[in-house]
Amino acid sequence: MHLYAFLPLLLIFGPLIFGLLVMLAPGWRCKTPVIVLSALTIMAGSILLALQGPFTLSVDNGLMKVLPLIELLILAIIIYIGFAIKKMLIIGLGLLQLAISLASEMLPHSVQAYVPALNVDLLAIIMVLIISIIGPLIVIYAIGYMKRYEAHGPVQMRSTGLFFFFLIGFLGVMNGLVMSNNLKLLTIFWELTTLCSFMLIGHDRTGDAEESAYRALWINSLGGAALMLALFLSISASGSAGLDELVAVGALLPLAMICLAAFTKSAQLPFQSWLLGAMVAPTPVSALLHSTTMVKAGVYLIIRLAPGLGGTRMGQVVAIAGAFTFALASAMAISQSNGKKVLAYSTIANLGLIIICAAIHTPLAYAAAILLTCFHAISKALLFLCVGTIEQGIGSRDIEDMEGLMRKMPITTVIAIIGMVSMMMPPFGMLIGKWMALEAVIMSPLVLFLLIMGSALTVVFWSKWIGRIQTVAYHPVYKIEDVPFSMFAAKGVLLLGIIAAAAVVVPLFKRVISPMSMTMFSETEVTSRSWDLMNSASTFIEWPLFFMLALVVPVLFLVVRGIKKSHIRQPFLCGENLEGAKTTFEFRTLMDKGESARIRSYYLNPLFGEAHLTVWANSIAIALIFIMFGVISK
Amino acid sequence: MIMVDPIITALLAIFAVPFIGAFLVGLDRKLTARMQSRIGPPLLQPVYDVIKLLHKEPIVVNRVQIIYAGLHLAFMVLCVVLLALGQDMLMVLFILAFSTISLILGGMSVRSPYSRIGSQREIMQMLSYEPILILMLVGVYLVNDSFMARDILASGKPLLLSLPLIFPAFLMVMTIKLQKSPFDFSTSHHGHQEIIKGITLEYSGPFLAILEITHWYEIFLLFFIVTMFWATSIPVGLLIAAVCFFCEILLDNIMARLTWPWMLRFMWMVGLGLAVTNVLWLYI
Repeated sequence: MHLYAFLPLLLIFGPLIFGLLVMLAPGWRCKTPVIVLSALTIMAGSILLALQGPFTLSVDNGLMKVLPLIELLILAIIIYIGFAIKKMLIIGLGLLQLAISLASEMLPHSVQAYVPALNVDLLAIIMVLIISIIGPLIVIYAIGYMKRYEAHGPVQMRSTGLFFFFLIGFLGVMNGLVMSNNLKLLTIFWELTTLCSFMLIGHDRTGDAEESAYRALWINSLGGAALMLALFLSISASGSAGLDELVAVGALLPLAMICLAAFTKSAQLPFQSWLLGAMVAPTPVSALLHSTTMVKAGVYLIIRLAPGLGGTRMGQVVAIAGAFTFALASAMAISQSNGKKVLAYSTIANLGLIIICAAIHTPLAYAAAILLTCFHAISKALLFLCVGTIEQGIGSRDIEDMEGLMRKMPITTVIAIIGMVSMMMPPFGMLIGKWMALEAVIMSPLVLFLLIMGSALTVVFWSKWIGRIQTVAYHPVYKIEDVPFSMFAAKGVLLLGIIAAAAVVVPLFKRVISPMSMTMFSETEVTSRSWDLMNSASTFIEWPLFFMLALVVPVLFLVVRGIKKSHIRQPFLCGENLEGAKTTFEFRTLMDKGESARIRSYYLNPLFGEAHLTVWANSIAIALIFIMFGVISK
Repeated sequence: MIMVDPIITALLAIFAVPFIGAFLVGLDRKLTARMQSRIGPPLLQPVYDVIKLLHKEPIVVNRVQIIYAGLHLAFMVLCVVLLALGQDMLMVLFILAFSTISLILGGMSVRSPYSRIGSQREIMQMLSYEPILILMLVGVYLVNDSFMARDILASGKPLLLSLPLIFPAFLMVMTIKLQKSPFDFSTSHHGHQEIIKGITLEYSGPFLAILEITHWYEIFLLFFIVTMFWATSIPVGLLIAAVCFFCEILLDNIMARLTWPWMLRFMWMVGLGLAVTNVLWLYI
């Protein structure tokens, strides 16, 4: 068979088969090699695909006829789940999807409409690389994590084999989703991601986990119904089920439906609750959902639709909705002390940022959207893996409890700090993306304002968190933590990836992303202003930054090494420091009494508290969705 | 603008700027002293102080502090260099923010409550002025059609005429950045006792000197931006900067320190309000 057809098949079905093998393999001794092998195969497959270059692939018509049957099967499973967990909402949404699906089968398909099943263009290749390189690392991390989790997790949880089946299979489903061009195929993969996330979130089978899994299922089924409606509308309007066709025709109603579906999957306001609930699952699940799979499916679709959205009033509303999510989710993150929840809000905010860039649709914005998708995936994966390790180490995910983490888990702490720094500081990619986004939205005042407020808020919660974990006590005795090799290796590779990505971000932008987004636009289509912005961003000179870093890092290293033990003193506490105190917050106060000082972080609950902010933020977000549909009919 | 070799420009920016900054700080101390009916130290006192600090023993609370002090200075220098090279001003602003974040993280890395409180207040200060600074650049872009510092003269008329409301908003930001009353929450140049020396409390010797030198660069940067509001004629620009300089010191000496929640409200309502209003009419 030709490599063209083989690689997508390997990337889609490979993970499913490997997942099955892992599930069937008895005991860790058999499981571990299969998991490692599957991870390496998926990575290799994606790299080969990238070397192969873009192509499209049609599938035999007879094979395509099977699609409705698979669709029916999946919907039957969803409805069955609805019965099993006794939720009318799931059954209702399942039946609704079933009805739309059957209706779109009834519609006459135009004969001449030739739809390639898979469209592996540059965007798809980038997405496959993200999914199939970062995803397997998370899977490898899960080996060590789940070994421990089996011992300490809730007793009633599902088997670890099943967990790995869904975890690895998820990667195949995502690969299929980003490569498929036929909307019917896309819907199938879409539903499968929903099912995978339902199973993974509910893994623990505790009350919390089941509640969260149910919420994820119904919100994403709602999105699934919207996507199916888009398929129906697309076929009835142009007789074609091709995604490329849909974008080219630019019929707004199906586009709006797909945007709605993307909002649910990317957990944009008002649909954020499922992603916040998803943190009850074991950490590899959160890492996977937040970085490479699931939520990225939503933003991927909007980036894919960008040419259809660009310049329309609806596109502007989508951008405003994204900007609103960015600002509000960043604000809510400030009030959280639960580490995983801060990460979740930050994910939601960054997805909003990517949606803004996609919907604005200028060359610079498009480039920013792709850069942000890549760098967010890698940084967020690393951060979740760190929080997972910290949680297993100290038994808490509360940021206040992470005080003095440097002493207990120095390696993880340093990796986590670099991960957080990579979310906001130069020379890392997220900052470049944010910078480009700010310049790209310059002609949309409302989006710009929300973006500015959001980015100021972002800095607050990251600096608070970094400050909390890096605190070093007086003459600390560092205790190197005991972390399984697989967990350490996965984090190590991701860390190297972040540093490598930071080194190549500017050349990557100039050589790959910039030409790629240039080809998306014809000269006449966009204003000269957006060309100017793109060109001036391309002339950005990075040498002073790297020169500075090359100079400062060794100098600091030498200075730090020159500090002798006798140079280190206790901090000032407005009283004599207590001798032999464990922490340096203890000091002698009036009448020689020992006193301990404790400083908590600011959480600004009256201003940014989740409880009262969510209510009106959701109301505005719902209104924005109505406006999105409203402007079409205007 | 005159084309000079970028490396020479960069070197000039790195080595000349701190002296101008030190002179401004010295002048500040002299003027403050006169306002308080004192004679005040010699004009070059800040330089003497720093030289003395550099010769002291490197006492620290932990080694992490040093890294952040170094980054604080490095990012600030980078800021000045990028501005001198006529680069993208939004990027300059971001890097300025990272210089401040380094200071904050340095303050948080020690287990001292005073330093911690100072750092958290510094975060709140950033939260209150960062949007205004970015909006200022949005205004500059709308006038000049470019984010590049080298295009600052593109519109051919002084920026102040197009950005009359953003200018006072920027002066408020400058008051915060210069740690002047009523906004000297995180640390203060005066001997007021509140959180002692706040964010810089646990720095001493050569590392305190690094923070001082960084402050010289920063003070230059801020007044350079003020001058840019009237870049068409350098003498007028300098005159405006001089008036602002005097007003800042006057304000510092006649105002009491307020609280940070007050500052956040004030900056978001008045400062941000002014900036948004100005930007809005530029859009229409």
